[in-house]
Parts: sequence; C-alpha cells; structure tokens
Amino acid sequence: MKLYSLSILHKGATKANLLKAAYDLSSFSFFQRSSVQEFMTFTSALIVERTSQGSRASVKEQEYLCHVYVRNDSLGAVVIADNEYPQRVCFTLLDKVLDEFSRQVDSIDWPSGSPETINYKALDIHLSKYQNPREADAMTKVQAELDETKIILHNTMESLLERGEKLDDLVAKSEHLGNQSKAFYKTARKQNSCCEIM
Amino acid sequence: MAECEEEVLVQRVVKDITNALKRNPSIDEIGVIPCPEARYNRSPIVLVENKLGVESWCVKFLLPYVHNKLLLYRQRKHWLDREALVDITCTVLLLNPDFTTAWNVRKELVQSGVLNPEKDLYLGQLALTKFPKSPETWIHRRWVLQQVLGQSSAGDRRRRQQQRDEADAERSQQLSEHLARTLHQEMKVCSDAACRYPSNYNAWSHRIWVLQHMARGNIKVFYDELSSMRLWVSMHVSDHSGFHYRQFLLKELVSELSQSTASSTSSPQHRSSSVSSSSPVPFHNHANGELSGGEGGEDEEERQLSFITVLQLFHQEMELISDLIQSFPGHETLWSHRRHVFFLWHQWRTDQQLSNDGGDSTLLSDREAGLHKGGAQGCAAQVGEGVNGQCPSEAMEVEGASLPDPRDSKRLKRGVHLPAPPSLPSEYTFISSVLDSCCPSEQRRFALSYRKWLDTVIVQQP
Repeated sequence: MKLYSLSILHKGATKANLLKAAYDLSSFSFFQRSSVQEFMTFTSALIVERTSQGSRASVKEQEYLCHVYVRNDSLGAVVIADNEYPQRVCFTLLDKVLDEFSRQVDSIDWPSGSPETINYKALDIHLSKYQNPREADAMTKVQAELDETKIILHNTMESLLERGEKLDDLVAKSEHLGNQSKAFYKTARKQNSCCEIM
Repeated sequence: MAECEEEVLVQRVVKDITNALKRNPSIDEIGVIPCPEARYNRSPIVLVENKLGVESWCVKFLLPYVHNKLLLYRQRKHWLDREALVDITCTVLLLNPDFTTAWNVRKELVQSGVLNPEKDLYLGQLALTKFPKSPETWIHRRWVLQQVLGQSSAGDRRRRQQQRDEADAERSQQLSEHLARTLHQEMKVCSDAACRYPSNYNAWSHRIWVLQHMARGNIKVFYDELSSMRLWVSMHVSDHSGFHYRQFLLKELVSELSQSTASSTSSPQHRSSSVSSSSPVPFHNHANGELSGGEGGEDEEERQLSFITVLQLFHQEMELISDLIQSFPGHETLWSHRRHVFFLWHQWRTDQQLSNDGGDSTLLSDREAGLHKGGAQGCAAQVGEGVNGQCPSEAMEVEGASLPDPRDSKRLKRGVHLPAPPSLPSEYTFISSVLDSCCPSEQRRFALSYRKWLDTVIVQQP
C-alpha cells in the first residue's frame, strides 16, 4: 500500500501546467528514481489534459493506479498509488488538497505558475501522512460523500489517447522527460517484448 | 582490434567494481543506469551516496566476457588465480546473480578458506537489491549460513572440551551475540527484498528457513517477528507470501506453547546451538516456560498460562483480519488468511480435546465457556461440540471479557475472563455482517466462498 506522487496542475486550453508536486520514490531503485519521477510528472500532466472539467477518473497502468480529479475551475490534482491503496481515500486526499490549495494560492497564478513560484508547502506532509490510509482518518467518514459510480475507469493509459495517437510518440516529444528517461522508457518497452539479460 | 580493446575495457570495469567495493564497505545498493552510449574517458562505474551504479552500455560487453572467462576456467582451459576469481565472480554475480557456476566457484573459495563467508552474505545482499527474487542467491545464502552455523557449533564443541578455559564464557557470549546479529541481519535482508518485490516468495521462504535453523524453539524471537509483521501485513494487504509467513509464525507459536502444556520441562539444552534470547525480557512471563517449568506445583499454572496465551493469539489474529477485511475490501489474500487461521484453530482445538479427554476438565470447561460466547450471539449453525451443563451466567461472564493480564498469575483461577477464541457462530456472524454492508462484488464473492468452505470443510467434519 503506497502512494508515489501527488501533484496539482492547472488544465489549460491544450496543456496542463504543473503547479506543485510531491514524490515518495523510496521504494524504487536509486538510479531509477529521477526517471521515475519524470515519468510520474509526464503521466500526471497527460491525464489532466485528457480529463474533462468536473470529472474524476482512475487510470490503471501496470501495477499503478493514477487517480485524477479536475474541478470545474480547471484546477486538477493527480495521485499515483499502487493497486492496494483504497481508491476512496485517494479521492478524499485529492479533494482535500485542492480545497486547501485554492484557498492559499490566488487563482490568477494558476495558469502561469510553476513549482518554483507557487508558495504551497503542504503537499509533502499530506503525501507522507496518507501513506498509511488508516492514520489519515479518512477511512470511514467520507464514504457517503463520494459517488463511486461516477468515477471513470480506464484500464490502460492508451485508452486516454485519441485515435492515431501513440504513447511512444508522446514520450519522444515530451518536455517533461530527459534523455535518460527516454532511454529508460525504451529499455522498459523492450523488456516487455522479449527476454534479454538486461 | 575490437577484441583487444574490449579486453582492456572489461578488465578496467572489473577492477573499478572491486575497488569501489573495497574502498567503500558501506555500499548498500547496486543498479544499472540507463545510458545507451559510452561517454569517453569516463568509467561506467558510478558511486553516489553509497549506491553503486553500472552504466547500461557496458553491460553487453562485460557480461558475456566474464561469463566466458569463468566457464573456460571451469573447463580447465584457462587458469585464474584466486584473487582474479573473487573479482570476476563478484562482477558476474552483481549483474547476473542466477549464474550458479559463479556461486559454486565461490563456495569452493569459502571452503578453502580464501573467502570469508560474511563477504558472500554481503555480496548476495547487494545482488538482491537489484534482483530481489534471484533464487540462486537465496540458495547460496542458505549454504553460507549453514557454514556459519557449522563453525559456531564446532566452536561449541571445542568449548566443551576445554572446560577450564577462563575466557571461555566470554567467547560463548560473543558467539551467541554474533549469531543474534546474523539472525537480525538476515531478517533485514528478507524484509528489504520483500519490500522491493511484492509477493516475493523466495524472500519469505528464506525467512522461514532462517527461523527454523537459527531460532528453533525460541519463543521470544517468534513473538517479536509476529508483532513486527503486524504493521507490515496491514500495509501489504495483497501480499500472499507475507501472510503465509505470518501463518507459519502462528503455527509454530501455537505448537510450541502446546508442547509446553504437554511437558513443561523442555530442556534448554537442545537449544544451545540456536540463538538464545539475548535480553531476558520475554513478551510474556510464560514465553520462556522452560525457566520456571518442572517445579511440580507450578505445572498446572504453567499449562493454564500457555492455554490462555494460545487463545489470546487466535483472538488477536482474528481481530486483526476482521479489521483488515473491513478496512480494505476486495483482497482475496485476507480471506484466505482468515481461512487458514480458523483451520489452525479448529485443528488445535480438536487436538486439545483428544489429549484432554477425561483428563483435565478445568481447561475443557473454560474453553466451552469461550464457545458459549459465540453461541450467545446467535446463529443457527451447530458447533460440533456437546455443550452441556453450563450455567448461562458463566457465558455472560465471558461475554464481557477483557483480556486477562497473563503476567499476574495469581489471578489465574478457574472462571477468570478468557479472551474470546474464534468460533463457528462468530465466523457466520462476521460473514453476514460483510454481506449486509454494501461492499464491492469481489468482497461478496470472497465472503460467500468462505461460508461455503466453512460449511463443507469444518461443519461436515466431526
């Protein structure tokens, strides 16, 4: 049961703009962490871009689940968790974080802000507190507030893409990803297709 | 030209790895850095914050080359001195720890005294950070541990021969401390690997092996494991292997405690080769029953204590599972754990009944009082046990049971509150409470199949 990343983004006309993010990558091997982090940012942005205002969704990708909530005012948040972590608690966390963020940060800054300019520091605390869903006191009380049937489920990242779009192309074009991460992505793809020593 | 260049490159990399490990004994992780192209004049070996990284481009030269070299050595076509062997096997195994031949070469080096077994434990530990499942690494680890254990029991024998040696006691103290440290270290390696790879069966079964070989009969160690696993399983509710380990602990503890009920005079002698509890502060007083056992009059009390501890173990385990099932619905692992624990309880109860038949009526009626509790909660199912002549007031007494403090043995008289053990009616009540709540379809399915299992396996069986 693990939360890997929690990020807040603003959904613009075509792109999502990252405002703040927190990561817990301690369970990944040391030399992969920077790439994994870039991929989580890339994925979070992509998911917010493909989610319409006022909706919630959960996207499954391998052993990860990305939960997203984009509010009607275009402010969105994504949490990436493993598939043991209770979905309901994730959405509680998203609600809470967005609520707090919009109270502390003026909406004028949302479209153009960046992690360096935005002054909101609570994300790391929330991420570490929610690692144990029971200590986050969210297990029972919010149950009724959330209509789980309204959450859209995607079984892969691919189902977010439009016709003719390919994940490989998006990765290659992405500005969130450095060269090392792109190489990392390629080897990971190769590993899935055939057995190699590496 | 290419071959010669490759040779130089490979030799340099092997040397770099060896030197890095030598210079920095606190390296705690290895990894491959994705990097398709070589950057000139830079070693592909990188050391950051005690993590050793190998750039991926060099692996495809390195691995076949060292592989071949080692195979040629094994076929006696190519001579390597011992130092070169240590270095080469180290490089191969860090990149491919399932290469049995390399581990075998190291076994020979350990046996001939060139290589310290501790070094091999460390190498395996590093390899497991990148390949947490690697079966060959775990297998080799057990071999090395057996060597270490063999050495220490040889030390034991020597010690007995030279009884008058004054430094003797001190040395045996050191020895058991060393074993305790090794045990602790193994547990750490296992949990590390279990966190890196979910349902890492190899790591968990190694952990079982370690307890069986290094802590046999040591109730303190088993208790500590059980309580430290509590948080782990709560955070890994779909890790089957982790729960299986917990089942193992429970089973061992119950059988160990039941043994001490049967004969509380188990000699501490036969446990000398395993780790003795270093700090004599047992979890419960009776946890090391052998200390006070065998003094006739205390026998009875001892048995009651063990009995109550077993009840308590089952009670707490069932509470934990119920809580986890309700908090994290839809995980089959939790349900099969429940099934296993209930089966264990059922078996234990049957065994107790057989051994107690006609014998001690005190324990029997105590237990039945416990069963009454479930009966009182009401469910049509019949408990496969004749409950007779129990006055309802006693059942009521258990109803509001608070767990007794086992440390206070004076209070342990007949009729004292007992922890509520699992029972068929309480299981059925739990299932219906799950079915009544609005739960995901999977949870429903698991609950129904658990009920079916109870109906067919437990109830049908007399």
